[in-house]
Amino acid sequence: MSARLGQGLYHAVLWLVALIFFAPVFWIILSSFKTAPQILAVPPLIVFRPTFANYARLFAQPSFEHHFFNSIVLSVLAVVIAVAVSFLAAFAFSRFRPGATNFLMFLLLSIRMLPGSAAILPVYLMYVAFGWKDSYIWMTLFYAMFSIPFSVWILKGFIDGVSPRFDETGIVNGASWLSIIARLTLPQVMPGVVAALIFNFIFVWNEFLFNYIIGGINTANIPVLLATNLSHGGGIDWTFLSSLTTIYILPPIIAVYFFQRVLLVGMTFGTVRGEV
Amino acid sequence: MSVAVSSRRTFASGRRPGLLAFFARREVLPAVLICPVLIFFIVWDIIPTLWLLGLSFYRYSLTSGRPPIYSGFYNYITILNDAETWFDLSRTFIFVLLAVGIETGAGLLLGLLFWRSDRLPGRRVALTLLFAPMVVTPVAAGTFWRLIYDPTFGILNWFIRSLGFAPVRFLSDANFAFGSVLAVDIWMWTPFMVLMALAALASVPKAELEAAEIDRLTWLQRLRLVILHHGKFILMLGILLRTIDAFKTMDLIFDMTYGGPGTATELVAMSLFRKAFEDFDMGSSSALAVILLLISIAFTTTFLYVLYLRERKAAIA
Repeated sequence: MSARLGQGLYHAVLWLVALIFFAPVFWIILSSFKTAPQILAVPPLIVFRPTFANYARLFAQPSFEHHFFNSIVLSVLAVVIAVAVSFLAAFAFSRFRPGATNFLMFLLLSIRMLPGSAAILPVYLMYVAFGWKDSYIWMTLFYAMFSIPFSVWILKGFIDGVSPRFDETGIVNGASWLSIIARLTLPQVMPGVVAALIFNFIFVWNEFLFNYIIGGINTANIPVLLATNLSHGGGIDWTFLSSLTTIYILPPIIAVYFFQRVLLVGMTFGTVRGEV
Repeated sequence: MSVAVSSRRTFASGRRPGLLAFFARREVLPAVLICPVLIFFIVWDIIPTLWLLGLSFYRYSLTSGRPPIYSGFYNYITILNDAETWFDLSRTFIFVLLAVGIETGAGLLLGLLFWRSDRLPGRRVALTLLFAPMVVTPVAAGTFWRLIYDPTFGILNWFIRSLGFAPVRFLSDANFAFGSVLAVDIWMWTPFMVLMALAALASVPKAELEAAEIDRLTWLQRLRLVILHHGKFILMLGILLRTIDAFKTMDLIFDMTYGGPGTATELVAMSLFRKAFEDFDMGSSSALAVILLLISIAFTTTFLYVLYLRERKAAIA
């Protein structure tokens, strides 16, 4: 009996921890159903009559769809391009081990080391000089570049875990390298591919600084809309912030729910495949 | 998929020794495969970095409208002689140390707790809730925390007041601002370390855990000898990624305090942003950026070197 009580307590603590971490997010979601005075009410309102006016106002805003569309297009395209080229490179690094493999992998990681405001500086000057500012293609390619290092690192780990015997069998049976890559190796490292896709998707989805500096009206995503439309007659427009954020965090949270297992397997960098 | 199928026919039959067949040759193939990443890398990393390095030797302000003037190490000397730089750097180091330390400790602890809880009702939902802070748009999270911290309207101060204390000005009091920003960073990124800890635990072979149980190792011994032995690499990678990112913390500061009050939360990434996009002093900010990059590279190299060295020693032993 006491063992069961202990386990119940243990589970209660775990749930409490999860809820504490979620509380601020819950507060944002709750606020999105309040009117502006209700959000700033003292004492804070837990029980109130929900209003959907914030969402109605948000959807009525003509720029909303445009920016939302931008967010989707930029993050999906960039991540797919990045993972595709990363997969090819990771395959080459893993199978052929060219001389400078370790050095190149380290160089790739170094992209991540530059602080955003440092990286953006020369890129900004470059984009202005070449007239690449505010263009979908160059924005997408830039995000793709930012997603490549992490993807190569994850995918190389996974491909290392696939025995080269598969390749040899393939060659013996007359398969081309392309079909070895696409039809023998790719299906076996799917967890790594999905993990790389989701992690980089979340990053690009939430990215603000680069979009703000090297993007423009055409390519602005939702974080930029959030940051630039916040001020409203002196104060911050809390209803706008909370309703837009609530909609915007839904896709990543849903992705985390459905792909939890894949994310975990992904972060093991290929040391475990399958069961977690 | 259609590409793969059609080219398979071409390669496999070997009857068409065309351009594609040339690319598929063993000596050429690796280069072809790496090429796209390399092009990305050169255009968006090598060129900008060299550009940055070049600019750092010039006096160049975007607002003056004058062309850049070569000035040697002038920018570097000015920055390194500026006491403010050193204050910012030490503040950033303290921030990184505290943030990564606490996040790793809490992440490891929570990871262990959740790892042992297979029968937790609604485990998947609980973990999703736990991971949520990590996926909230930083711009929105930072701004919303300002409301939570607000002295008049914030829910935290409502608690404090109802307990009978005077309200705390979390973000505008120099004594509290640093800790308040740190707390938000910990809230946001502890879930990431939990994820890494869970991944590290997942990489421990089950057979060895069972063996340890049969051998009646204590929990501490199991943690040290079995779990950390196998999970070390993933955990270290998590710490490395977190350290690099904490060193560049910027969006939270940008939304919450903008470096203030005074310079209480001015981290290097923030002062870099000011130099570049408020003063538009491209030369000086490039020099600062190069200094930060060198610090990052030095840290990462040492870290990876120590990691691999330990591994090699372990392999010999």
